[in-house]
Amino acid sequence: MNGSVIGRGTVVRGNVRGSGSLEILGRVEGDVSVNGELVIGEDGAVRGSVSGSHITCSGAVQGDVRGSEAVLLERGARVVGDLTAPRIGVATGALVKGLVRTDGEPALGAARRPATGGARPIAFPARAAAPAPKAEPREESREESGDSEPPEPKAAREAPPPPVVPALAKGAKAKKKRKED
Amino acid sequence: MAGTVIGEGLSIEGDLSSEEEVVVQGNLRGKLTTTDAVSVGSSAVIEADVSAQSLTIAGQVTGDVTAAERVDLQAGGRLIGDVKASRLTIADGASFKGNVDMDV
Amino acid sequence: MMRHSSEGSVLGPSTRITGRISGEGALRVEGGIKGDISVSGTAEIVEGASVEGSVHAESLEIAGSLLGDAVTRGPIAVRSGAVVRGDLRGSEISIEPGSRVSVRLDTQVELDLGAPRRR
Repeated sequence: MNGSVIGRGTVVRGNVRGSGSLEILGRVEGDVSVNGELVIGEDGAVRGSVSGSHITCSGAVQGDVRGSEAVLLERGARVVGDLTAPRIGVATGALVKGLVRTDGEPALGAARRPATGGARPIAFPARAAAPAPKAEPREESREESGDSEPPEPKAAREAPPPPVVPALAKGAKAKKKRKED
Repeated sequence: MAGTVIGEGLSIEGDLSSEEEVVVQGNLRGKLTTTDAVSVGSSAVIEADVSAQSLTIAGQVTGDVTAAERVDLQAGGRLIGDVKASRLTIADGASFKGNVDMDV
Repeated sequence: MMRHSSEGSVLGPSTRITGRISGEGALRVEGGIKGDISVSGTAEIVEGASVEGSVHAESLEIAGSLLGDAVTRGPIAVRSGAVVRGDLRGSEISIEPGSRVSVRLDTQVELDLGAPRRR
């Protein structure tokens, strides 16, 4: 068995993918995709989309979470993004902002709520994990264009959820910096 | 027990920075920095500059390595890149291409 | 058909209602309702029961099916075996594995992912 661990004192800026299981106790700023079990510990944090077979999360994720078998959020987990899996559990005390859908159930359609359904970017700019559109309508148009362009001036991004948005800009900078040095 | 283990089959593309021991058995492409030790296992393939307290290489590393203490290139290990460390050992059966700066 | 227990109202298993239900106290749905529910106490949709409409209540427990939005001041619990589609807003929301859901949760989440650590 190869169990990988991203330890408490470790920060990964970039994508993590592969076979086997993975435990995240530190931070990942990028997408995580493994075909085995994935555990995100209490102090673990991922800014990016997350996929695995059986995902147990007690930490923080800003991005969509997709389990091919199950997604279980424990007490204390915080997720801003959508959850999909055949089996989903959200414990009391876990916080989620996003769509939660078990496989086979219809998506909450745009038809049902035209005001909020349509504009949401589908799964992709995962690290942009758009907050629910109706809450911050301005947010999403920014994020849709934001991907290909350099981050906007910080002040402009600093608006609604303060800890989240400026951090995104910093992550983007860090990535750029890596290429330069 | 190492704090961070990149197991065989796992790939990281990007920067990994840490304050604890890092064991790599899988793939890493980008940059690896820790204030503790790094161990590159025989199955590991690293394309990154590595900076650590000490570094043991039994797998493949392409990139410049810097260690505050020492670099040990073990039998079967392969390093292409420059080494900066106060101590360096290259075992019989290891391959190495690059410059060495022992900072005398 | 609507009986009163110490905890509040109960709509029995054979009860079918089309229309709006509102009132004081708790409500336990064992039958089928098409219409919106608004009660001041706790609401419960038991296994086998169904509600098509929105639910406003102090808290909500769903073991049956709810097609519609729910807003509570207290917690919302989705039990294993439940089928729920709609927006859920409550102080705390829990979903048991084994339920079938397509829901939107809008919890205020403070993600303290903060600034990336310096190298």
